[in-house]
Amino acid sequence: MTHLALEGVGFVYPDGTRALSEVDLTIVPGEVVAIVGQNGSGKSTLVRHLDGLLRPTEGRVLHDGTDVAGVRVATLAAAVGIVFQNPDRQIFAGRVQAEVEFGPRILGRTPQEAAETATAALEAVGLSDLADANPYDLGFSRRKLLTLASVLAMETAVVVLDEPTTGQDARGVARIQGVVERLVAAGRTVIAISHDMRFVAETFSRVVVMGAGRILLDGTPAEVFAEAAWPTLASTYLEPPLAARVGARLGLGATPTEASLIEAMGAQG
Amino acid sequence: MVLLAIRAGVFGQLARVSALLTLPIAISVVLVSVFTRAGTTVLFAIGPFDATAEGVDFAGQTLVRLFAISLSIGLFVLTTNPRAFVFDLERRGVSPRIAFVAVATIEAVPALVERAGVIGESQRARGLDTEGSVRARLRGVLPLVGPVIIGALTDVEERSLALESRAFSRPGRRHLLWAMPDRPWERWLRWALSCLLLAIALARITGRI
Amino acid sequence: MLQLHRIGYRYAGYATPVLHDIDLSMADGEIIGVVGANESGKSTLSLVASGLAPGSIGGALTGQLSIDGIDMAGSPLHEFSTRVGIGFQNPATQLSGVTGSVFEEVALGPMNLGLTGREIVDRTNRAMAVLGIENLAEREPRRLSGGQAQLVVIASLLAMRPAHLVLDEPTAQLDPEGTRLVGEALRGLAATGTALLIAEHKTDLLDGLCSRIVVLDGGRIVADGAASDVLADPRLVDWGVEPPSRIRLGRAANARGLDAALIDGAIGS
Repeated sequence: MTHLALEGVGFVYPDGTRALSEVDLTIVPGEVVAIVGQNGSGKSTLVRHLDGLLRPTEGRVLHDGTDVAGVRVATLAAAVGIVFQNPDRQIFAGRVQAEVEFGPRILGRTPQEAAETATAALEAVGLSDLADANPYDLGFSRRKLLTLASVLAMETAVVVLDEPTTGQDARGVARIQGVVERLVAAGRTVIAISHDMRFVAETFSRVVVMGAGRILLDGTPAEVFAEAAWPTLASTYLEPPLAARVGARLGLGATPTEASLIEAMGAQG
Repeated sequence: MVLLAIRAGVFGQLARVSALLTLPIAISVVLVSVFTRAGTTVLFAIGPFDATAEGVDFAGQTLVRLFAISLSIGLFVLTTNPRAFVFDLERRGVSPRIAFVAVATIEAVPALVERAGVIGESQRARGLDTEGSVRARLRGVLPLVGPVIIGALTDVEERSLALESRAFSRPGRRHLLWAMPDRPWERWLRWALSCLLLAIALARITGRI
Repeated sequence: MLQLHRIGYRYAGYATPVLHDIDLSMADGEIIGVVGANESGKSTLSLVASGLAPGSIGGALTGQLSIDGIDMAGSPLHEFSTRVGIGFQNPATQLSGVTGSVFEEVALGPMNLGLTGREIVDRTNRAMAVLGIENLAEREPRRLSGGQAQLVVIASLLAMRPAHLVLDEPTAQLDPEGTRLVGEALRGLAATGTALLIAEHKTDLLDGLCSRIVVLDGGRIVADGAASDVLADPRLVDWGVEPPSRIRLGRAANARGLDAALIDGAIGS
C-alpha cells in the first residue's frame, strides 16, 4: 500500500506559467479522494506529479516517506496507475484483451498472470463478452471503460481517474461507481478528477478543491459543499451539487447527496 | 536575406532551421569535394586522400549555395502567415480546397505534437519505459505511434464532416472577405527581383559570370 | 419541415443496421430532444438527419428523408447544408483551423455559399448576436475555452441560415461552465424560430427547453411525445436514461411520503 505525500510542491511550466503553488497534500492508503476545480486550477498537473510524469519545480513528492525525485516513471507506474481522460490517446491494440494485458506485461507479469488479471479487470468493468472485439468497434463510452480496465489490470495500490464520467451515460456512471466501490473494498486508494459534483458527492469521502494552483478546501463532501464554502467554490467556477443547494434553501443544513437531502427532509417532518 | 531575417525578428530561428537543414548535406559535400576534387595545389593529405585548394574552393561555393536555398526556404516558412498566403493563392485562382489543405496541414502540426505528448503520457503511466534501454524503447513504438495515426485519421474524418456542413464542397468561386494588401512598391520589387533572377540565369548560361 | 419516413441505416462495412424503422417529423420552429443510452443510435440519427449519412460517410440508407416536401435522396451535400446544419461534440475539430478570428470563422460558411460581401457580414453579425458572442469577434478561435468554441461553432452553423439545426451532444465534452454557456445559448437559439434537434444525456438541459422528447433504444424510437410526459415516464431508467433532477428528487421524496412540491420550489428559486 502506498502512502502519498506532496510537500510544498510548486510547478512552473517551461513557458513560465505557474500551475501549482505551495501544495501540501497527504493521501493515506485506502482513501477515496476527489479533486475538483475549474480548468486550469492545477488538478491535472497535480496528479501527474503522483507517478512522476511531472517533477516539482519546488518541494517534494513522497511515496511511503521516500522522495521519488530520481525514480523513473516506469517504476512509479507500478504503484500509481492513471487512467487519462481520452481513451483514444492510449488504445493501440487490435483486440480488447490484448490492450488490457499490455500494462501487466510491461510490469513484468507472466503471460498467464497477465491474462488472468486482464480477464478479472474486464469483468469488473462489464466488458467480458467483448474481450475479442476490436476496440474501435466499440463506442466511446466503452472505450473509456476499456482504458479503465487496462489500468485496473495493473493492480496498482493507487488508482487515479481523470474525468471518468465524461461521455458516459447513466449506466456507465453506475458502472464506474461500482468499480470505485470494489477498489475501496479491496483497500486500494482511489483518486479522481471530476467536474460532476453529484458523482463526487455520492462516491467520494474526501474532496479537495483547487483554484489557481492552490488547494482552497479539503474536507468531506458535507463540509466542502456546505453553504459557508459556496463563495470559495464560486471563485473556482464550481457550483455545489443540486442536493446541497436545495437543502440549503430548505434550511436543512449540509445535504451534499440526494439521499442525505431526502433523509433530512424526512427528519424535519 | 540575413538582413531581412533580422528585420523580421526571426534570425535566431532561421539560423537554427537553416543549420539543421543544411548541415547533414554540407558535411558530406565538404568532405567529398575537398578530398576528391581534381586539382593541382595540395594543401595537406590524410592517408591516400589529398585536400586540394580547388576542392576547398568548390566546397565553399557549394556551401554558400546550399545555405542560400535553406535560408530562403526557412525565411519563407517563418515569415509567411499561412492564412494570408493561402487566401492570396485562392484570389489568384487556386481552388479553395487545395488552399485549405495547404493551410490545414501547417496548422495541424502543433496539434499533432501535443497529441503525441498526451499519448506518451498515457503509455508511460502504464509502465512503458521511454527512458531505458533501446530494446525497451523499441517495444514502445507501436503503443506510441499507433494512437497518433489513428487519432490523426479520426481527426481528419471529424473535420471533414464539420466542413461539409459549412458547404465546403460547394462548387464555384466565392467572394473572399479579406485579401492581402498588395502595395505598388511590393509589386515593383517582385518584378525587379524576377528580372534580376532571369538576368543572372542568362549570364550564367552564356558564361559571363 | 424535415421528415424521416421508415428510415433504416447501416454503416459501411458493418453487417447490422444501427437504425430501424425511424419515423420522425420536425416541424418548423420545433425544439426536439433526443435521449437514449450510448450506442442507442442518437449520433447516427443526427448524421442521417443532416444528410452526412450516407452523403459523406457512405453506408446504406433505407426509407425516405424529405425536407419541405422534397425527397433529398441523392442530393449533394451542399444542398443539405443550407437546410440542415449539424454540430458535434468536439469543438476543436469543428473549427476550421484556417481563420484568424472568430468573425472570420463564423463568416466562412456564408463565404462558401458565394454570397456578396454585405450579406456575409450581415449574416455573421446576426448569428453572433443570437449566440451572444459579439465580444469574441476578434479572438483567435483556437484560444477559446471549450464552451466558447462550441458557441462559435453553433454561430457558424447558424450563419448558413438553415431551417433546421441538429446538435449531437453539444455539451458532452464541456466543463460545467461551458455547459451553462451552451445551455443559455440554446434558449436564445430556440427563440429564432430555427427547428432544433438536440441529442443529449443531460436531461436537465433539455427539461424546460424542448417541447418534445424522443427516446431511442436499440436504434428504434420507443417513446415520442410532449417533453413533460416523456421525462416523467418511469421507463426512462430501463432505457438507460437519467430522468431530470427535479423528477428524480421528486420521486425519491414521494417514496418517503414527503411533498415533492417543496423540492420543485427550492430548485426553481
